[in-house]
Parts: sequence; C-alpha cells; structure tokens
Amino acid sequence: MSNVVSSSELARTDGRDEAFHCLTCSDEGVCMRVVKLDTARDLALCEDENGARSTVEIALIDGVATGDTVLVHAGTALARAEGMAA
Amino acid sequence: MKFVDEFRDAELGRVLAHEILGAVEPGRHYKIMEVCGGHTHSIYKYGVDDLLPANVELVHGPGCPVCVIPMGRVDDAIAMAHEPGVIFTCFGDMMRVPGSHGTLTDASAEGADIRMVYSPLDALRIAKQNPDRTVVFFAIGFETTAPSTALTLKRAKAEGVPNFFCFCNHVTIVPPLRALLESPDLRLDGFIGPGHVSTVVGARPLEFIPADYGKPVVVSGFEPVDILQSVLMIVRQLAAGRCEVENQYKRIVPYEGNLAALKIMSEVFALRPHFEWRGLGFISHSGLKLSEDYADLDAERRYTIPNVRIADPKACQCGEVLKGVIKPFECKVFGTACTPERPIGTCMVSSEGACAAYYNYGRFAREKQLV
Repeated sequence: MSNVVSSSELARTDGRDEAFHCLTCSDEGVCMRVVKLDTARDLALCEDENGARSTVEIALIDGVATGDTVLVHAGTALARAEGMAA
Repeated sequence: MKFVDEFRDAELGRVLAHEILGAVEPGRHYKIMEVCGGHTHSIYKYGVDDLLPANVELVHGPGCPVCVIPMGRVDDAIAMAHEPGVIFTCFGDMMRVPGSHGTLTDASAEGADIRMVYSPLDALRIAKQNPDRTVVFFAIGFETTAPSTALTLKRAKAEGVPNFFCFCNHVTIVPPLRALLESPDLRLDGFIGPGHVSTVVGARPLEFIPADYGKPVVVSGFEPVDILQSVLMIVRQLAAGRCEVENQYKRIVPYEGNLAALKIMSEVFALRPHFEWRGLGFISHSGLKLSEDYADLDAERRYTIPNVRIADPKACQCGEVLKGVIKPFECKVFGTACTPERPIGTCMVSSEGACAAYYNYGRFAREKQLV
C-alpha cells in the first residue's frame, strides 16, 4: 500500500525512538507467526514481524497450527489474531 | 511480515479524525480516559491527540503495570534479591523503579544477582540451569501477564523444579476502575477500554461501567486507527444517548475472553483482601497471591520481607496522574527533577507510563499550545 505510513515516519522523532521499545511487555502484546510446534510440551517457536524468534507457551489456545498468527504477552499466546495474514 | 499496516494508514486516520469532528457537539467538552498504558504510549507516539478536536480531551488511566507498583513492594523485592543464594529475575522496566533506598539496578551494583527476563518461562529456565541457587521471579502486571505466570508455575510444579519461587504482584483491572469512578474529583464521559486485558477477561466484566455509572466503554486496539475509531464510537454513543460496552478490537478480543486462561488463573491464584496501588492507596480485592495449592512456590512465604508501607515522595504526583486528575506536565518535578533517566515516580519509568509518554513525545506539542 502506497499510503501506509511506517511507524518510524508516523512516530514523532526526537532521536530517541529506538530506545523506547517496551521491556515490560506486560501490556504490550506482540503478534507473532507460529513457525514450529512442540505440542507435547505446549510450546511453539514463533517469529515476530522483524523476524525475531522466541519460544511461546500455547496451552491457552486450542488447535494452534503452523502459520497461525497469535497475540503473545510475556511469552504466552493469549489469542489467535483473526483475519490477519502472516 | 506485517500485521498492522492498515491500522497505521494515514489517510484512514484523517478520514476518522474528520468524522470525529463532525460527530462532536460544539461547546461540549469530552473527557475520555484510556485505561491502558499501551494506549497512552500509542497516542503520544503517533500523535493521535493532535488529530482530535480541541474539545475532545484524552486523560490517562491506571493501566501501566509498572507505574502502579508501590515503593514498599520494590523494597520487598530488593530485600529478597539480597538473600544469600538468590537469583532475582524481573522484567527490565522494574529494575529502574525506585524503592525507598534505590532501585533493583542499584541492588545489582551492590552485588545482588538480578537478571532481566522477557517472560516467566525464561526465569524457570534459569532455575533449571542453576539447581544449587534459588530463583525468584518478580511477577507484575494485569490479567495479560498473570496467565503467563500461572502457566509457568504450573509447569514448575509439574516438572518438580524445587528452586523456583514467585513474588506475586499481579493486579486486576476492574477494582481500580471502580475506585476511579467512585472518586469525586474526576468527571469522565467515557472509557477507551483495555485491549489486551480484555483478550483474557473478555468485555463482559466492563459492563458495570455503563450499567452502574452510565459511561460508554469501547474496547480498543493499540494502533492509531484503532484509537481514533474507538474515540469516534464513544462520541457517537454519547450523541445517540446510548451507553454500552462496544468492542472495536474484535480481531483479537472475544467478548467472553479466554476461558482457558481464566481457568488456570483461578487454579494458581487467589484474591488478596486488599492491595496497595501507587497513588491510589489500598483497593479491595485488586491483587492476586498464590493459592494454597501453590503455597510452596510463594516467595513471600519462603522469605521474611520488610512488608512496610512507604509513602510516595512528596514532590511526586503520580497518584493524580494515574487518576487522570492532572496532566503529567502539571506535576512540579516533571521534566526537571524527574526524567526517564532519573525517575522519581513510576509513571516516568516505563515506556507505557503517562509521564514518560509525554516526556518522550508530547513536550513539544505542549509548548506549541502555550505559545
């Protein structure tokens, strides 16, 4: 889409934006794509939009499949993101 | 891989801003509270406030999980971190929150073994890697992080990890909202409801706000277009004389919440009779502790902690900011004695805190208004 404004363009720039990613993660959910499943341990390897990968608990969502997009909070998938293509 | 492009669409944002302008009644002042710190951060990061008409005011609520932790609990955490053999684990922002005698970062400099983690699962991994040490996880957050802590505690119990303990400071969102609505010094027209808390608890627990207090609530996503659309939905409810809970964030939030998450929380946690919130004081049934089944994983039962209530610094007005009574820049120490580098109050620590959001993104807009 040509009229999409990237976060760096739309954000007010004061030269410090890059330092303000949230370390708390408590109320900042991240949408991640499921790359690989370990259903025996209810874990999945997931990837965020920048390609960073981490292990995520998937016990709270039924029937998670590879390729699904899930909302992850503090290492746990809380919801499946409906209608979002990965 | 992009998930959010359409929700940052500048043209769509302008269209929504125009619709809001058309929907507001001239001469009426709208005061809308965004409950969640994630919304506060987005509003200032993307300049959403600049797109709103002058008579629509956004005020910031108590939904930053770091900001609401009182000084006494930080002191308790530091005391645990100094116990012999302890590896103390916490989210990064908590390391910079001041207690009465410094922060966890200061305690680390004094020799305590404090490690930053991104999830409780990371803390459990550290416990497994260090069987001869005791690992304490400083659990904070609303219903968004509580399921994550619950799952990790259940995993620790199932796997029989004997050296993993949890210092539980989880809180729930509904009691402070009710306390705010009972507060006589705050007049609000509506609420932008918490997005990700609602993925867990659902939108139903918010129904008391329209039912008992006559204020509309719109559960909202966190992108700029989400927030603008939510403001529009609130203004339209007010214009039509309606008052209900609406869900703007349907792509993530089911109205009933996540039942599996609620079930595991009810197994692992129990409500505390009361819990202290920074600036808001003690609020009944607003905090979680570990249930009796998980008592052997409870750090508060393993260690003797000071458990002393510490008054907030006199100069700091985090309480008024958390209640939306004053704007961050109206605090006496905002941007001078209190900055993100050297915070006095919690609201300046986390990127989700209202003061930090203003300091990082909103200062220049304020100067513009004052000219």
